[in-house]
Amino acid sequence: MAEEFNTDSMLSMFLYESYQGLEKLEGIVLEKQDADCFDDSDINEIFRIMHTIKGSSAVLMYENIKTASHKLEDVFYYLRESHPEDVPHMELVEKVLAVSDFITGELDKIKAGSEPDGDEKKLVEDLDQFLAELKGEIKKQGIRLPKANKQEEPTQFYITPVAEDDSHFYRIVIHYRSDTQMSNIRAYSATYALKEVAEDLLYTPEDILSNEASGDSILAEGFHMLLQTKASKDEVMELIDSSEAETIDFDEINKTEYGKALTEFGREAPPIVINLDDDKGGAKDDKKQQAPIAPGDYVVKSKETGKGKTLAKNQPKQQAVISVNVEKMDALMDMIGELVIAEATVLQNPDLKVPGLDLTNFQKAAAQLAKNTTELQDVIMSMRMMPLTNVFQKMRRIVFDTSRKLGKDIDFEVIGENTEVDKNIIEHISDPLMHLVRNSVDHGIEDNADLRLANGKKAKGKITLEAKNEGGKVYISVKDDGKGLNKEKLYNKALENGLIGDKLMSDFTEKEIFKFITLPGFSTKEVVTEYSGRGVGMDVVVKNIQSIGGRLEIDSVEGQGSEMTLVIPLTLAIISGIVIQVGEAPFVIEMASIKEFISVSEDALIQEPSGEEYLVLRGDCFPFIRLCEKYDLPGAKTKLEDGIVVVVEHEGKQICVLIDKILQEQEIVVKPIPSYVKKVKGLSGCTQLGDGSIALILDVGGLMIEEERR
Amino acid sequence: MADELKEELLEEDASKGKFMTFQTGREYFGISISYVSEIIQMQPITAIPEAEDYIKGLINLRGKIIPVIDVRVRFKMEPAEYTDRTCIIVIDVKSTVIGLIVEKIAEVDDIMDEDVVPPPTLGGHRDNEKNKYVYGLARTGDTMKLLLDPEKLIKQEDLDILEDIQEDEQQA
Amino acid sequence: MKILLAEDDFASRKFMDKQLSQYGECDVMVDGEEAVDAFMMALDDGEPYDLACLDVMMPVMDGYQVLKAIRDIETQKGIPKSERVKVIMTTALNDERNVKMAFELGCEAYAGKPIDMEKFEKVLKKLELI
Repeated sequence: MAEEFNTDSMLSMFLYESYQGLEKLEGIVLEKQDADCFDDSDINEIFRIMHTIKGSSAVLMYENIKTASHKLEDVFYYLRESHPEDVPHMELVEKVLAVSDFITGELDKIKAGSEPDGDEKKLVEDLDQFLAELKGEIKKQGIRLPKANKQEEPTQFYITPVAEDDSHFYRIVIHYRSDTQMSNIRAYSATYALKEVAEDLLYTPEDILSNEASGDSILAEGFHMLLQTKASKDEVMELIDSSEAETIDFDEINKTEYGKALTEFGREAPPIVINLDDDKGGAKDDKKQQAPIAPGDYVVKSKETGKGKTLAKNQPKQQAVISVNVEKMDALMDMIGELVIAEATVLQNPDLKVPGLDLTNFQKAAAQLAKNTTELQDVIMSMRMMPLTNVFQKMRRIVFDTSRKLGKDIDFEVIGENTEVDKNIIEHISDPLMHLVRNSVDHGIEDNADLRLANGKKAKGKITLEAKNEGGKVYISVKDDGKGLNKEKLYNKALENGLIGDKLMSDFTEKEIFKFITLPGFSTKEVVTEYSGRGVGMDVVVKNIQSIGGRLEIDSVEGQGSEMTLVIPLTLAIISGIVIQVGEAPFVIEMASIKEFISVSEDALIQEPSGEEYLVLRGDCFPFIRLCEKYDLPGAKTKLEDGIVVVVEHEGKQICVLIDKILQEQEIVVKPIPSYVKKVKGLSGCTQLGDGSIALILDVGGLMIEEERR
Repeated sequence: MADELKEELLEEDASKGKFMTFQTGREYFGISISYVSEIIQMQPITAIPEAEDYIKGLINLRGKIIPVIDVRVRFKMEPAEYTDRTCIIVIDVKSTVIGLIVEKIAEVDDIMDEDVVPPPTLGGHRDNEKNKYVYGLARTGDTMKLLLDPEKLIKQEDLDILEDIQEDEQQA
Repeated sequence: MKILLAEDDFASRKFMDKQLSQYGECDVMVDGEEAVDAFMMALDDGEPYDLACLDVMMPVMDGYQVLKAIRDIETQKGIPKSERVKVIMTTALNDERNVKMAFELGCEAYAGKPIDMEKFEKVLKKLELI
């Protein structure tokens, strides 16, 4: 979700409730899109949702949202009261979605801190016409029209505060000339002048009027002010009387700095509470527990000069759900990363390797520590986990829209939408997934239902979106029962576009040929459509997925359908890896990509005249890389017998890598290699080992690309 | 424009006119102390394969991983053995944190702007690798100090951009 | 239009006074009790206020108490709903519970600080004050 610009909690509540309502509404509509009509409970629900949105948008004075939701509410009012038959269901579905889209668009604007200024007139006209037809139909069917849905103009309004992102924050320090008389009074007049434009103003010393001695400290240390205002620097400068001032330091600071500075000035920073929790039950409990406010709770005890207000009554602070700033979560995540490293530093400390030490108790304590850190890590991970439900919901909509525009009849099934994935990852998979789904609708499913029937399939196409969690990875697949990929076509296309040189079709495996569709500048569709097939796309999908350490698998049987599977890691930050050594240098290989470690004799080695080497293992031939040669590492073992061969796998391909020895298995925190250093192929990052030294993380995928290029 | 700004910044800074000087070979260099965040002892360095020769590798600065470069190699001088006097000056140039390996730290000198003379240009002929990174000369005591421009020092050659383009082409 | 402004914070008071004065005569009070007194006085003089802007956090009586007192007095004096003073709460306390309660107590609008004067004027129009 985008950054929340406006932290006004009424507004957040409105947005939250409205988004939720609309999401629910879309859910109902899309679920019932193929039915003949909505049933009573659906009608009631949609009516209720629109009623709520209408009500709250009226209070907040968002006229266009109010009008649009009101119209739709009207439609459902008549449906609810008169139960007419033969309502054009598809048309109704479209109307509902149109309104939902419109409101969502406006809500997005509000969320981004701008005014919802969309024009609802066309939409309202459409709805009016639909309503008129509906009423005519009702009359025709001999049902009495209900009383008009009475529209009560709201009598109470909520004025949302000015979005704070328009505000400037300044830190101003005035140094008066040392001979200035009554500098405290001068300071006061500065604050007085600023109050005209100030949204918030703090200053120190505080007691400028009541304490004459404050003048001395103003002369000595300067008069410090913290100002929040909409006024520009020049406007503010104009207000400050600078006649006796020696210097005026004027710094514009950002909101975070301002928040921090507030505490310097002796005020508690306001807690920012945004309730992000999806758990409705929890939120309700939470409300019950909060003691209701009563008049009199906000009497200000007494006003001490300059001090913040203190309330006579203590506000009860009970909350079962706390909301946490995402930044804080990330900070916590980083801390855990450091903790994992620190733990390794302790447990693998070289001091422990002194011979003859009795470490029984230490080992016990260490085991407990290790268990606790692992659990801690799991808890934090789980806090960052979010179900894929929302993303999948979006896909439902995409299938609906695309299939209708293309005139295809498609059955869409969703499995495993409750699968949880790290929040960061969810943000990265939405677009690629959308592309895959569109592709399936557009390219996958046959254009013509007769063609399907002729091939012994049902006339209605089927697309299945499935998510599952297996072995630390999440698999999200988009499967269709359409025409599948034609290898020959793919090959010819790739050849035509000059993507594969002049290699023969027999040079490629089936999977490699399918992979062609992910090459930049490749599109099998002759006609470019609005939805897919612009020749950009699949390569972008692959790039996006790779950026989060995932990959795309393609499987297809011609005539029966295709399956595209995104394989993505559960989380990004911490991976389990094996630390190895080559020469002096430690490296880390991600556990998941390691197939096996083996000892091999020189006999298994095949050397081509070109210098390329292959290793024959159990009758199969694998490319062979000597890390020491590739990265020019001194002191490494060169004989196969002395070292160890690691077989690593990436996207179904395997290569063998020669290393010196295995050091240990370790949870590692992936850190980027500083950007100052040019990117090295085959390395994906670095990490800190238990002894504080740095190991480089091998990127198996990158190594393979390198190897292929040779 | 950028130079003006920098001058302004330097002027306001309390560290104005203070230079960290160090010795490399027979020459003394100076770097404005406002760039220096700390000086640490030589550390175990993890080499990065395929990196430029002057980038010696990565060190672990209290959990932060930073690259270190060897100033001698950067100046295209013969690399020297690292001794126990070898130090790493950690500098922060526009949020890029980098360690400079130098043979020997000399001292902190006060050098006023008026004492700085531009380096001699030999008819625009760039004979000396060092001169690319030196923006001025200053005499303090009996030694001449070459004042370094850290921004130029850490800047990578335009070569990289070229390589990036080639790489993109290969991938396409 | 006759306006009652109750606000204890000087900066806000100065700002609001300046803003409100363009719509009419504005009486400024610094705490809740004064606000109720002023309201009573105006009623007794037969020149009741058309609009009251009440801060929530104030000394002696808070804005909600003032609001409740005003509505109670009006009920007791049998003032018809249409002639009641229009009340706008002005406060930085803008969580749902506060707003709901203020609505229940019978205010016409609730303005979060910093106040969006454009919307404020829109509400004045809706309340048919201007």
